[in-house]
Amino acid sequence: MAKIRERYDALVIGGGIAGMQAALDLGEQGYDVLLVEKDPSIGGIMVGLNKVFPTLDCSSCICTPRMAEAAHHPRIQLQTYTEVKRVDRQGAGFAVRLVKKPRYISEDDCVGCNVCELACPIDVPHEFDYGLGARRAVYIPHGNAIPQKAVLDLEHCVFCGKCEKACPTHCFDFTQEAEEATVNVGTVIIATGLHITPMAAKAEYGGDTFLNVMSPLGMERVQSSNGPYGRVLRPSDGKIPRSIAYVQCAGSRDRSIGVPYCSRVCCMYALKQALLLTHYIHGLDVTLYYMDIRAFGKGYEQFYRRAVKEGVKVVKGKVAKITEADNRDLILRVEMIDEHGRVEERRHDLVVLSQGLVPGWHVGGVIDVQEGDDGFLLTPDAKVGPSLTTMEGVFVGGVAAGPKDIPDAIVEAGEAAMAAANYLEHTRWRTMTGAALRVDVRHQEAARASEVH
Amino acid sequence: MSETPQAAKPAKPKNTIAVLRERHGGMTQDLKDYFKDQQRVRKLLREALKGGAMTIPQLAAACQLETHVTLWHVMAMRRYGEVAEGAEQNGYLLYTLKEG
Repeated sequence: MAKIRERYDALVIGGGIAGMQAALDLGEQGYDVLLVEKDPSIGGIMVGLNKVFPTLDCSSCICTPRMAEAAHHPRIQLQTYTEVKRVDRQGAGFAVRLVKKPRYISEDDCVGCNVCELACPIDVPHEFDYGLGARRAVYIPHGNAIPQKAVLDLEHCVFCGKCEKACPTHCFDFTQEAEEATVNVGTVIIATGLHITPMAAKAEYGGDTFLNVMSPLGMERVQSSNGPYGRVLRPSDGKIPRSIAYVQCAGSRDRSIGVPYCSRVCCMYALKQALLLTHYIHGLDVTLYYMDIRAFGKGYEQFYRRAVKEGVKVVKGKVAKITEADNRDLILRVEMIDEHGRVEERRHDLVVLSQGLVPGWHVGGVIDVQEGDDGFLLTPDAKVGPSLTTMEGVFVGGVAAGPKDIPDAIVEAGEAAMAAANYLEHTRWRTMTGAALRVDVRHQEAARASEVH
Repeated sequence: MSETPQAAKPAKPKNTIAVLRERHGGMTQDLKDYFKDQQRVRKLLREALKGGAMTIPQLAAACQLETHVTLWHVMAMRRYGEVAEGAEQNGYLLYTLKEG
């Protein structure tokens, strides 16, 4: 970690959309920010999504400019493939211990040309495509990755050395080891995002057994033009599906799996995916089985009505069980929620489980903030200070505090940045005077504007 | 960041894969088996596709592989430029080997 300094104004943990927003908001105010991401690229889950609801804008087209802005901001130091091991209060600020995992390349010399990836002889399931597609043992995380640098997956390396021989810039260095560093920061923002509930959580749906029962994030990748198949196919045999079902509340509002809360986004992402599927596959039958449709955000109710109008079928019923036919089609046993309360069996080529959101990270032993009963960070003053945690000077933004959609995650991350800035002013942590910082940023903005013109 | 002092760049070691291999004890038996099987499957798929365009079920039958395994391998070959996607046939896409 040759470039890392000893002191920053703020540490932002997590380089997804919320973490990037918080870092940019602080950076634009003139604070020096260390943005730490555990994965080899920033962008989080959003950069892998196909489109966003309700506008159907391309997700990576919104996310990628933010990623570039965060990576190139003069006040933001980006530290990818790095984990925060411990945060301790120290004086007015915090001492932070970091460990950077080895990429086995020199980040200064790698130009992201992909030649090493093409030379590598082994294919393994790609995490970015949720295992549906392949990558090599040495790889660029994805086409929109920032930094666009290779990383070696040591667990799957066959030690042939072909990548090193092929590299035109001779950037490989297999002698690298994990590096530790300690930095001092004035404030901390936790923006560690989400996971979805495990596919195995609801055994009766066969999420970890039946090949054609998919996760919603897997479906996002399958719908993406740069996804694992390049178009929508079913994973068991490559068939172009003619009938797809969405099972709502397949990982939320369910005490039996420890997720009693509503995840707030499942209705909308399912409607979005269902609507897009009708655009991608002519004549497709797509049915959404739901208990309630919760379309609470701006333009969401209109989007729901649009999806129904454009052919998405919505059936008020609870899916009790999914079984598999010989040809891998799926048979859904549905308890209809109507005056008759009958049970029906419906057959589909493919099923997507609308899984719920759970925390992307647990603080256990790393930082002394408390989590709530649901596992998300506790925000004891949520009404008037939604980013406040149980530790003074530590703030939370995005889904780390609870399930929410992208606009809300961005808004709360901005609020966390503002609260962190106030805290820095209060503790007089800043390394320069406020006036000097603001002039500095304005000067840089003027210089950037003159370059454009 | 622009104000970061740049340390003198140390000389980069060359051909360091041997260091890594020695440090980590080489491939595990599981990985050796996985890699060997992958090479076997790819050889079967290439041979089958030399006969012309095929769908995933046709390829799977020709190579005596499961259809989902065939799909994963064909998609990996497609990603790295070995296979191209063709027209639709009875609800499935046809795949061909790319020339060169």
